[in-house]
Amino acid sequence: MGVAAMLFSEIYGSYFNVVAAVLAEAAEGCLTEGSLTELVQKKAFAESVLAIPAALKSGDWPLLGKNFEPVIRHKPTMPLTTLQKRWLKALLLDPRIALFAPDAAGLGDVEPLYKPETFVWFDRYADGDPYGDENYIRCFGTVLQAVREKRRLNIRFHSRTGARHAITCIPYRLEYSAKDDKFRLLAAGTRRDNVINLARVEFCELLEEYDPDSFRLPEKNLYELVLLLHDERNGLERVLLHFSHFEKETRKLGDRLYQIQLRYDQEDETELLIRVLSFGPVLEVKAPAEFIALVKDRIDRQAAHTFTNGGTIPRY
Amino acid sequence: MAYSELIKNFARIRDYMREFYVYGFKSRDEYGAKSARSYDNERRRIESWLGDYMAFRQDAAGKNVFLSVDSRQIPHNPLYKAFKAKSFTNKDITLHFYILDILAGGHALSCRQIVDRVSGEYLSRFSGAFFPDESTIRKKLKEYEGLGLLQAEKNGREVFYRRTDGEPFPLSSWADALAFYSEEDPMGVVGSFLLDKLDKGPDVFRFKHHYILHALDSDILCQLLQAIDRRRSVELTVQNLRSGHEYRRTVCPLKIYVSTQSGRQYLLGYYYRGRRMAFFRLDAVKKVATGGEERQYDTYLGYQAKFDRHLWGVSAGAGHSLDHIEMTVRFGPGEDFIAQRLEREKRHGTVEVLDGRTCRFTADVYDASELLPWLRTFIGRIVELKCSNPVVTDTFYEDLRRMSALYGGGGDAVQ
Repeated sequence: MGVAAMLFSEIYGSYFNVVAAVLAEAAEGCLTEGSLTELVQKKAFAESVLAIPAALKSGDWPLLGKNFEPVIRHKPTMPLTTLQKRWLKALLLDPRIALFAPDAAGLGDVEPLYKPETFVWFDRYADGDPYGDENYIRCFGTVLQAVREKRRLNIRFHSRTGARHAITCIPYRLEYSAKDDKFRLLAAGTRRDNVINLARVEFCELLEEYDPDSFRLPEKNLYELVLLLHDERNGLERVLLHFSHFEKETRKLGDRLYQIQLRYDQEDETELLIRVLSFGPVLEVKAPAEFIALVKDRIDRQAAHTFTNGGTIPRY
Repeated sequence: MAYSELIKNFARIRDYMREFYVYGFKSRDEYGAKSARSYDNERRRIESWLGDYMAFRQDAAGKNVFLSVDSRQIPHNPLYKAFKAKSFTNKDITLHFYILDILAGGHALSCRQIVDRVSGEYLSRFSGAFFPDESTIRKKLKEYEGLGLLQAEKNGREVFYRRTDGEPFPLSSWADALAFYSEEDPMGVVGSFLLDKLDKGPDVFRFKHHYILHALDSDILCQLLQAIDRRRSVELTVQNLRSGHEYRRTVCPLKIYVSTQSGRQYLLGYYYRGRRMAFFRLDAVKKVATGGEERQYDTYLGYQAKFDRHLWGVSAGAGHSLDHIEMTVRFGPGEDFIAQRLEREKRHGTVEVLDGRTCRFTADVYDASELLPWLRTFIGRIVELKCSNPVVTDTFYEDLRRMSALYGGGGDAVQ
């Protein structure tokens, strides 16, 4: 049997995972009607609670005795499948794996599922992070540890303009962008929140733990963009796929006319502006007024440039 | 047949999830080809798996159901849940836990010995329970051998089965890597399966510009990766996404092209009958049938390397002839990032600095019209645009004229 046929398999399914958790709890002698329901609600789907407890209690799945004692003798475990091992082996060939340094034991004679060169990321930006740089790897590891262990950090970094900064902060996430091929550290500082490109960090040092209960994630400054979509040149699909990573709502207003509302972080306004411009007249910004003004400004500036071209459409 | 939140076949739910996620403005009646009951069942399933991300809207046209996710705010792709909803029989789940338990001690047993223990030590505790015959258990053992959960050892005429985890796998050392790659890798669904094995995965990463829809194509991608790895040809069943028309193509699969700016994935293969390179969107591929080994694989890989040099995106245009394009942009003081943008986004193009405030981008590509969206991101700064294909410049200026008109400007000002 090939790997392909095995991806969609019940052995990876929520039901098998939940039942394993139930049997593990039963093996410890602490499974009750209540904990059974709780486990199913926590680990499976919304309606699983209608199916799993009933099947276990009725004996349709003869895995639990009358007093919730397990029929099996060991805590349930499952070996890794060939697909899982081959996927892990493929990750070992990725340059970013140096940031994680996992234990590769058990994968010695495993063939990777794919090789890195099988994928072509044709529109990824060319100035990605230096994953082979020792200082970068060291800083990444320290930041990762700080986020995981909820500790403060001392960081020295340089900004886009080259100015050097040193701050003490609470790092709470590492954010990765596939398009930029960059990691950014999201950190709460004493005076302001910081988004720091990890490649600009020169030094970082772990400090003491902070009280996670007293820390609140900074709130994003979200705005709502309202767009009219004129569906031409397959614009509907192109636009909806392109903006699919935003929280959004689409309404059909008429024949080939749609309204899209999406919420964006104010910090990303310029990036969103050029993304909207990239669709040309397929997209028309209806709100907010400030965003419309930005679009108009770009178009007016371009019109002026074009006008100075002598009013002709240059041809090669 | 009674409703179940589990599914046997992935194809239908794949279509519905895509519709709910990408479009989300259709009412029940607009899912024309499928029956109302089928729609209700699929919607109920998706709601059961992804209730937190489902939204509803009632308007004159009816009730609309859609999936709305800000993927920057979530650590895990919720669409993977569809791959965790495969249906199974009572025997499947029972034998799964029995067999792995019987072999948990590390020793090897024959099928007959396993059958005896299933009947004598496990099922005998239940009156009225099914007693699987030897062939059922043998089939399950072979299936698990294929999955890699068990390994078979021959001793004389008898086959003995043993679990493959004699040495425990150090999965916990992979926890951070799994949290990252389960979202970032095109086959991240496998990482999601592995994360399920950890008690509590780390919550460290978030992902910007994170396209999650590709998850639904993981099964197709997995089959293609396997064919590429084994250098096999494939027969693809492809559905035209606009017309719905289905057709087949036999190709030598070579590379997977991924767009980080739309989330789309494409197979690039050598299309035998057309004697040319061809791209296929993975979300349009319905089925992959693996064929024989391709002996000319290296030759086709060589074609691909040559072909790639003049691609901007995934279009070869008409007849593989090249368009020459030049764009000159000017930027103000303190806007050096424009030059940096050109440098990092130029792909196979070149960037020439004309003076401290002006740069020229040049490229020779199969289809310059593919650059139009990117060129428009420089609107406001383009001082010259030339292309050997006049359709490209005409379209650019015509679009600019229309954009100017949309925002109340004198469209005539844009020539």
